[in-house]
Amino acid sequence: MDRSLESWQKEVIRCIRCGACQNVCPVFKELQAESTVARGRVKLIRGVISKDLDLTEGFIDKMSLCLMCKACVVNCPSGVKVDKLVEAARKEIAEKKGLSPLKNLIFRLVLKNRWVFNTGMRTGRIFQGLVFRKGPNGQGMLPRMSLGIDKRRLLSPLAQKPFKSMYPEVVKVPEATMRVSFFTGCMINYIYTDTGRAVINVLNQNGVEVVIPSLQNCCGTPVRINGDYETAKTMARANIDVFLKEKVDAVVVACGTCGLSLKEEYAELLEDDPSYVEKAKKLGSMVKDFTELVVSLEGFEGKMGRLPVKVTYHDPCHLVRGLKVKEQPRQIIRSIPGVIFEEMTKVDTCCGSGGSFSLYHYELSTKINDHKVESIHQTGAEILATGCSACRMHIADGLNRQGNPVKVMHTAQLLEMAYRARENPAL
Amino acid sequence: MRPEIIQKLSEIVGKDNLYTELEDLYCYTYDASFVKADFKKDLAGVAVYPSNTEEVVQIIKLANQEMIPVVPRGAGTNVSGGTISVGDCIILVLKRMNKILEIDGKNLIAVVEPGVITGQLQCEVERIGLFYPPDPASQAFSTMGGNVAECAGGPRGVKYGVTRDYVIGLEVVLPTGEVINTGGRTIKNVTGYDMTKLFTGSEGTLCVITKIIVKLIPLPEAKSTMMAVFPEIVQACETVSEIIATGLVPCSLELLDNIYIRNIEEYAKVGLPTEAGAVLLIEVDGDSEILAKQIGKIEKICSRLGAVQIRVAKTKEEAEELWRARRSAFAAVSRLRPTIIGEDATVPRSSIPAAVNRIQEIATKYNIIVAILGHAGDGNLHATILTDETDQEEMARVEKAIDEIFIATVELGGSLSGEHGIGRAKSKFITIQTGEAGLEVQRQIKQALDPNNILNPGVMFGA
Repeated sequence: MDRSLESWQKEVIRCIRCGACQNVCPVFKELQAESTVARGRVKLIRGVISKDLDLTEGFIDKMSLCLMCKACVVNCPSGVKVDKLVEAARKEIAEKKGLSPLKNLIFRLVLKNRWVFNTGMRTGRIFQGLVFRKGPNGQGMLPRMSLGIDKRRLLSPLAQKPFKSMYPEVVKVPEATMRVSFFTGCMINYIYTDTGRAVINVLNQNGVEVVIPSLQNCCGTPVRINGDYETAKTMARANIDVFLKEKVDAVVVACGTCGLSLKEEYAELLEDDPSYVEKAKKLGSMVKDFTELVVSLEGFEGKMGRLPVKVTYHDPCHLVRGLKVKEQPRQIIRSIPGVIFEEMTKVDTCCGSGGSFSLYHYELSTKINDHKVESIHQTGAEILATGCSACRMHIADGLNRQGNPVKVMHTAQLLEMAYRARENPAL
Repeated sequence: MRPEIIQKLSEIVGKDNLYTELEDLYCYTYDASFVKADFKKDLAGVAVYPSNTEEVVQIIKLANQEMIPVVPRGAGTNVSGGTISVGDCIILVLKRMNKILEIDGKNLIAVVEPGVITGQLQCEVERIGLFYPPDPASQAFSTMGGNVAECAGGPRGVKYGVTRDYVIGLEVVLPTGEVINTGGRTIKNVTGYDMTKLFTGSEGTLCVITKIIVKLIPLPEAKSTMMAVFPEIVQACETVSEIIATGLVPCSLELLDNIYIRNIEEYAKVGLPTEAGAVLLIEVDGDSEILAKQIGKIEKICSRLGAVQIRVAKTKEEAEELWRARRSAFAAVSRLRPTIIGEDATVPRSSIPAAVNRIQEIATKYNIIVAILGHAGDGNLHATILTDETDQEEMARVEKAIDEIFIATVELGGSLSGEHGIGRAKSKFITIQTGEAGLEVQRQIKQALDPNNILNPGVMFGA
């Protein structure tokens, strides 16, 4: 949605300042200042539009204090699109004030250029042992020295090999009943290759042939929500071209954030580009979250062995409120023999990650995360399943800080474990 | 604000609990009301978040000595302009004082700090089978302190009354810095003037509330919900009067007019007939044995007075579905026009049909859209004006219409405000109800307690 900030006037006046967002905003819950809740952000944006306020450092800071979790949007009685407003404000800031040098480098050089990103990530893998040590319980890694990020911050190591280099471009199965392409997203490609592997294995076992287009790149969301629309558009067009080339029944994602950008946000982003808007809508209509696809496959439950574990599930913001996927992962988890499924309280409250939010506001994002970890802890579960790699990393970090041994994995991995348990009950 | 004042406030509450940046203060120039602060003139000097009564005392003493206006604030959800900054003032936010101090099941009382969220208190007491009934629409995020200061109501008012009916004791800091306790832990208490009732609904003009004692009642065993559809709104209004006159007391009796019905149906698809003139949503509660009998009686009244469709929820889920219509009301009409102004003029229940008539006449006269969604059971008609605040010509007509609605309400023997308060929004109208002498008495009370007029100046009495 390439619009001037002024053009959002009609949206800002729809906020009736009722304050209902105070009940759900995770950032406000910690900070309590009126300027840190959705109602305050909308008022500040309105202030800039009406020229009461300028794009000051204070304003830029307030706009950065939003997780883009959409909790306020779905709870707003007037349905104000607060996330779109904050994004429009960030776009205004990026255009008028420029991006920070670090964001500029990452967005415009690295994420946009697949080979730079790929080379960087491959080189990074070799050197990461020098600056990181292994985390407890075999999960993740901790910084050995200060990197400008908290030394307690558990990061997940870069994978030995990127996911896309582990598989052929088409992963075939005999007598395929369906053909899908897989949008891996950056975290699955470079960090959580285990999630990617589980997606392929589960789909293959259900007779689904999977295409992994090698020319796909980052979905562009980190770039767009930080206001760099030009770069985001370039990335969107590239992905649209790559994915529309394949003859497939669906485009599968295993991350709510990537999924939402492909499904809805590309079409919004490119609405003024007549040569791409229809293509973006076509791609959007094909997008399915992994769990959505799985529950539509006949007999997916019949291939499971017993997994005697207690499992809980965390709803990622962009999966539950973006793609509206809520029941499907639960249906999958509940169908696994032996699994005891226990819902946690406040299951769809943001984990505090917010993508780059957790790097810029680490202390705050850990405070928000503490509530999530407590909810998980109270269920007594041994495994936390979720549908987003960023949530996975942030929650694993939180559990580590609290010395909690709960294993965090993608729903696809839990399902893969269940399938393996049938093939090899001893495992 | 002078730097030495900010320094002293910082020493009282700690620097992390004090805000002076422009962007922070800009966010205290509004509340949920339609009152607009003049940003250049009305920006606060500082916002402070004290954590206990002692800190409040020190802040108030400093403000009184330096003659600095103080605006007490909870969640800022009031709809009368009661928490908007007034120039170089101190915004005193009580949200950090958010502990439930005591729930006493033996004496059926709870003691809370002012920053406790009303919905949270309700949740906690219901766990042990008790009930705190006041249910303003903002209950999930508004604070007990704010509810007491505004004497908040809600749909359950028809049966259970309003906040005032539950507050039995307060600890307050007076504008001169003294701490006093009013009322107490007993239901019967006639020692001296009833200061508790005076402070409840005083809109932050007489004191800062720092502790609240409320009485609780046993949680009703069960509920039963029904919906009745009427071809004409006047039939629904007569039905409301008839139900009340028969001696039946539902715990909610909500009226939706045709504008709401059409928009709700378009938005939420709950199966409302879009040509209907009005819908009544009725809920009764109490012992499960008597509910069916009560609902039966109400059904009969509805049919007799012209209801064309009656749905009684048989399960919890069906009841939930009926309430979904009511709850989506706001979102539904907000799609029609960008600006919504909710008024809360309240009339004696027998005057509801006349009041609805007058409101509709006024809407026609000024060619504006006024929808009605009321707590009809207690005469609290929420006339909702659907408009566009960027259209200045229309807004001028809206203002005139609102003035006329107020006058009509008082003529019908009603109140300017049922539950929203006077605040800054209605202060210019107050004398049409109190009279000059009545207002003078209130002024003298204010003067006696707040000689320097530091607490929420402008609220209730005008600038």
